Amino acid sequence: MAFVEFRDVSKVYRMGDVEVRAVNGMDFAIEQGEFVVIVGPSGAGKTTVLNMLGGMDTPTSGTIMLDGQEVSAMGERELTQYRRHDIGFVFQFYNLVQNLTALENVELASQICADPLPADEVLAEVGLAARSDNFPSQLSGGEQQRVAIARALAKNPKLLLCDEPTGALDYETGKQILRLLQDTCRNTGRTVAVVTHNQAFTQIADRVIEVREGQARSVRVNEHPADATTLEW
Amino acid sequence: MRSAFAKDIVRSIRGSMGRFLAIMGIVALGCGFYAGLQMCGPDMRADADALYDGTNLWDVRLISTLGFSDDDVERVRAVEGVEHVMPSLTCDAMARLGTEQVAVRISSIDVDAARDSMADELYAVTSDDDDYLNRPRLVDGRWPKERGECVVSADVPRADYGIGDTVELLYGSGDLAELLDVDELSIVGTVSSSNYPYTGSFGSTNLGSGMIDQYLFVAPASLAKDAPYTEIYLTVRGAREELSESDAYERVVDATKGRLEDLRSELARERRDDVRREAQEQLDEKWDEYDREKAKADRELADAEAELADAAAKIADGERELADGEAQYRDGVATYERERAATQKKLDDAAAQLDRGQKELDASRETWRKGRDELLAQLGAESLGDARTTLEAQRDQLTAQQAELETQRAGLAAQRADLEAQAEGLRQQVAGLEQLMSAFESRPELVRQCDGLAQQIAAMKEAGADTSELEAQLGQLDAALAAVDAAIAASGMDEGQARAALDQANAGISQLEEGIAQIDAGIAQIDDGLSQLADGLAQVGEGLGAIDQVEDGACKLDEGKAKLDAGRRELAQGRATAARELARGQQELDDAAAKLEDARAELEDGRAQYADGLREYEEGKAEADERFTDALEQLQDAQREIDEVELPDIYALDRTQSEGAATYHADAGRIDSIADVFPFIFFLVAALVSLTTMTRMVEDDRVLIGTYKALGYGTGAIAAKYLAYAGIAGVVGATVGIVILSQVLPFIVMSAYSIIYTVPLHPFPLPINLGIALTSGGLGVGVTLLATWGAVVSSLREVPATLMLPRAPKAGKRILLERIIPVWRRLSFTWKVTFRNLFRYKRRFLMTVIGISGCTALLLVGFGLHDSIWDIIDCQYGPIIHFDTTVGLDDEAIELDVHRVVRCLEDSGEVTGIVRVQNENMQASADGYDETIRVNVVVPRDAEAMARVITFRNRLSGAELPLDDDAVLVTEKLALKYGLAEGDQIVLYDQDDVGNAVGEGHRLRVTGVAENYVGNLVYVGRDAYETLGAGVPVFGTIYASTTPDEDVRKGIADELHDMESVSTVIFSDETINMYRRMLSVVDMIVVVLIVSAAALAYIVLYNLTNINIGERIREIASLKVLGFTRGEVYTYIFREVGLLALIGDAVGLALGIVLERFVVTTAEVDYVMFGRTIHPPSFVYAFALTMLFTGLVVLTMRRRLDRVDMVESLKSVD
Repeated sequence: MAFVEFRDVSKVYRMGDVEVRAVNGMDFAIEQGEFVVIVGPSGAGKTTVLNMLGGMDTPTSGTIMLDGQEVSAMGERELTQYRRHDIGFVFQFYNLVQNLTALENVELASQICADPLPADEVLAEVGLAARSDNFPSQLSGGEQQRVAIARALAKNPKLLLCDEPTGALDYETGKQILRLLQDTCRNTGRTVAVVTHNQAFTQIADRVIEVREGQARSVRVNEHPADATTLEW
Repeated sequence: MRSAFAKDIVRSIRGSMGRFLAIMGIVALGCGFYAGLQMCGPDMRADADALYDGTNLWDVRLISTLGFSDDDVERVRAVEGVEHVMPSLTCDAMARLGTEQVAVRISSIDVDAARDSMADELYAVTSDDDDYLNRPRLVDGRWPKERGECVVSADVPRADYGIGDTVELLYGSGDLAELLDVDELSIVGTVSSSNYPYTGSFGSTNLGSGMIDQYLFVAPASLAKDAPYTEIYLTVRGAREELSESDAYERVVDATKGRLEDLRSELARERRDDVRREAQEQLDEKWDEYDREKAKADRELADAEAELADAAAKIADGERELADGEAQYRDGVATYERERAATQKKLDDAAAQLDRGQKELDASRETWRKGRDELLAQLGAESLGDARTTLEAQRDQLTAQQAELETQRAGLAAQRADLEAQAEGLRQQVAGLEQLMSAFESRPELVRQCDGLAQQIAAMKEAGADTSELEAQLGQLDAALAAVDAAIAASGMDEGQARAALDQANAGISQLEEGIAQIDAGIAQIDDGLSQLADGLAQVGEGLGAIDQVEDGACKLDEGKAKLDAGRRELAQGRATAARELARGQQELDDAAAKLEDARAELEDGRAQYADGLREYEEGKAEADERFTDALEQLQDAQREIDEVELPDIYALDRTQSEGAATYHADAGRIDSIADVFPFIFFLVAALVSLTTMTRMVEDDRVLIGTYKALGYGTGAIAAKYLAYAGIAGVVGATVGIVILSQVLPFIVMSAYSIIYTVPLHPFPLPINLGIALTSGGLGVGVTLLATWGAVVSSLREVPATLMLPRAPKAGKRILLERIIPVWRRLSFTWKVTFRNLFRYKRRFLMTVIGISGCTALLLVGFGLHDSIWDIIDCQYGPIIHFDTTVGLDDEAIELDVHRVVRCLEDSGEVTGIVRVQNENMQASADGYDETIRVNVVVPRDAEAMARVITFRNRLSGAELPLDDDAVLVTEKLALKYGLAEGDQIVLYDQDDVGNAVGEGHRLRVTGVAENYVGNLVYVGRDAYETLGAGVPVFGTIYASTTPDEDVRKGIADELHDMESVSTVIFSDETINMYRRMLSVVDMIVVVLIVSAAALAYIVLYNLTNINIGERIREIASLKVLGFTRGEVYTYIFREVGLLALIGDAVGLALGIVLERFVVTTAEVDYVMFGRTIHPPSFVYAFALTMLFTGLVVLTMRRRLDRVDMVESLKSVD
């Protein structure tokens, strides 16, 4: 059994009288330790996939499995625990708590889970040991995103979910962040899923899931994924 | 564009209803509270004015200490500005009403006008008679018509009497009889008079407790004849149109009042002259009467005295007679006793004699029998007769012999006598012879002597010596010689012859003598025979004698026996006689004794009667003396009084000097002061709420503003949106708040006051004072707009480009707490965020802290006010006043009365801790103050005992204050009012009938300020009291403690009320209940405060939370994505709210203390001091309630947090 499985997952939003099928019979699987890129244009349903995979939303039908747990069957409380312990989330806009220093933002996550990694070590891993006492407003975007990644990693999650992690960053910084994510996957064997509209990112993925009109149009495995530093877009 | 603008605004409002409502709510609260409170005072005043105008209440009231006449009334009417005039007679009296003695104010009423008057449902009492002022409203029953009828106030709480009951008038402040013709009134109706709007006290008096408890109106028929008017009520032209006691009103009234004051001296002069004249006429009559009465009494006394003297004389006679009688009786008794003894003795003697006689007789009989037997034996006779016969024969024989011998003897005796005669002759011869012989023998001698003498004489003659003596001797000798010679010569014989004759004579004699001797012998023989015969005869005689004797003895024995028998009979007779006589004597004595007893009793009666008579006389005399002395003194006093009648004091009083109207006015003023302070908090909070809310709104709209700006809208146009938004919220809020609260608040306040005032409640809708409404609304909206402008203006300064960018999140900042590393380290990130956030947004912090502290402060004021008010009772009764019963005696009571009451209390067995004090109503002031205030001056008879029933201590220092005889302790409220401290001087004035200070005043040095809550008192030691010169106090007020048992109390009260001198019996419970009722006014205000506080807290916290959440939706969504549980998210947000609320709460407690102090001192009336401490539970309540409100807000806001979608976290910053 795959590490992550989507089986015929559908999500229907009801907007007044109109039914919108954001996801319509999605099927895919991800193996443990893979660096996965979920790619698709705006409105293809990739955010809905992200939401459901991240435990922020539940499917209307179908089954979502993660490491043997049936996420799609979880209640609100279980989902909270799921988010807490199994998922590390990296936001497009970092979503750091402004009133906490870098280190504190990492601790924010590590303090709530059962088996966290030491916050300062994680921060050092993302290369911000020197800035750990700075407030987010004192950090650059890339640094903030690193803090965000550190925050996600500190929870020691089974799956690191990244929503357009470079979206708010310039090209160079974006590349560095991608590299960090790829390195994390390679070095720690952690499963990392990046959701993006940028086709370029598919080059560096172990597995590429292309989403279109609410379905996984194609799932392919890169035998030789490129290194993030070589990436260009 | 205009419509687009409007649409935009409407949509903004719709899209942010919470925000809009928050602004609206706080403005509504602020404006409504301000307007509502501000309108309370004017509404109250307007109500009072409506009542006063509707009932034609006086504007000026003239009082004269000597009253007014009809002429005076006309004089007053003529004064410019005076509109309508109504003279009236008013007096204060103590009356027995129901079970109590109360001070009442009795006024005359124009009965006809009253009957014709019509009362509408609210304020007005109409009448055709314009001069009918102060029109009372008939509540029940009917108007008084006849003499002895009255109506009483319907506004007296807890009256236990009503129509049909009787008012017994006891005594007045002056002479009641001068004013009233009745001393009992029956209640025929109840009224409500606008002249007495305050039911707490209908006015001051110098009677009883110093407060008028009830007022009555009587028909003129009940007034005394010729009673003067005591006051003149009048209305001032133009005053009616003005609001009572407003400045304009005062101006109008003062002008006329000034003119009336100018008239006073004229009125006073006229009045005095009238009064003097009248009084003098009356007094002259009295003088006459006095003289008449005195003469009559003197006469009567003299008569009585004479009668008494007679009686005394009679008694003296009687006494004397009685003494005599007694002496006689005693003599009689003695005599009787003596006689009885003598008689007894005699009888006893006689009896003894008889016994002896019997014994003797018996002995004699025995002797006789023996003698007889012996004799018989001796005589040898058989019987006495025989013996006698024998013996008589012998006697006869012997007698014959004797006679013979006698004859012989007589012969012999004759012989002898013959012989004897011869012998005698011879013997005479012898004697002559012998004499002759001696003459012979002596003659030679004589011759010699004569010779010798003659010689001697011769010799001497020769010698020349005197010889007369010798010659005499010689003569004698010669005579003797001559005699001798004569004798010799006579004999005729010589010597020898003589001798022989002599011898012969002698021989003859001897012979004769021999013959005689022989005869004698014969005679002796015969005598022997005779003697023998005599013996024999004697023997016979003896024998006869013996027989005679025996016979005699027998006779005698018989005789003796007979005598004895006779004696016995006599004795018996004597005994009987004696017994009879003694009995008679005894009887006589007894009779005499009885008579004496009667006489004594009679005398005793007489004496008693006399004593009675005397006492009666003396008493009568004393009484008469006293009466006449008194009368004289009284007359003299009266005369002096008339002579000293001074110009009367005439006072012109306006409504500010009418206790009811003034108290009401002052209470309205108090609400004004509170109204000035309270809403300040609301306005401040309104400004802060608007500021933070609008800031948030503007920030939310940054991009929009940038867009507008970029599109070319001017600053003003853009700002207009926000100003319009805030303005609409403000105007709507202000309108709603003002409309609602200007009805609700005055209604609550006035309802509360209607408990103690008779001013009717204005019916809904209450008038909305436009000025206040506009001020309030303007303030509220203005503050909101200003805050909005402040929020908008900073954003509008920025250039569109920066506006288009999301505002850089407010930088995180380190706070002081982080420097305490060990503490900070230990904190979880949520705490760190909370702490950093607390200090990150200063405006919000301020808004919340001020809002919440305002809420807490309001609550604390509410609870504190409640504490303060109930403390009046709780601190006063128990901690300070330990007694619960006050018994007041009337002014006429003297020591004996007080003592009797004290004994009655003691005897009841239910009363302890009795302390007597002197209680005086006086006026007090201090240097630098014109105003005086009514005080009770309390002088304890026994300071030590007093200190046991009242705790004298300084509230602040808690120090006990000594109450010694020099002490002058001033109660705290009084001290506060006049700024008195220990060592300062208080000035005490006596007061006149209308409660004005009179005289110079007495200065006393204050020795302490005593904690006290009810009333203004000055505790004065006895010595200090003496310096007031008020004379000897009676101490006619008694403090005591008794059981809480109602029945026992009632028993004691009834017993006391039966005593003439007792005027009041007050149990503290009743007082406490009265205060409770009066003070429940404030409880309603407490409720208002709590509700407002809740509203305030809700709005502030709601707004704060709303902003907090709105500002941090991303953060919250992120946290949720990070796997925060619901509880952790709540904590993350609400901890901050909670902490802010806590800080605000704490600040609010401090603020509340200050505010409460202000409210308490403002709301206080002169008569009481509110408690000055807020009780710990009140702090707890205020604190807890605020936290409760916070909790409620948090509860409602939880849903808002739950609704935050995690997807928000994925969105871009704007």
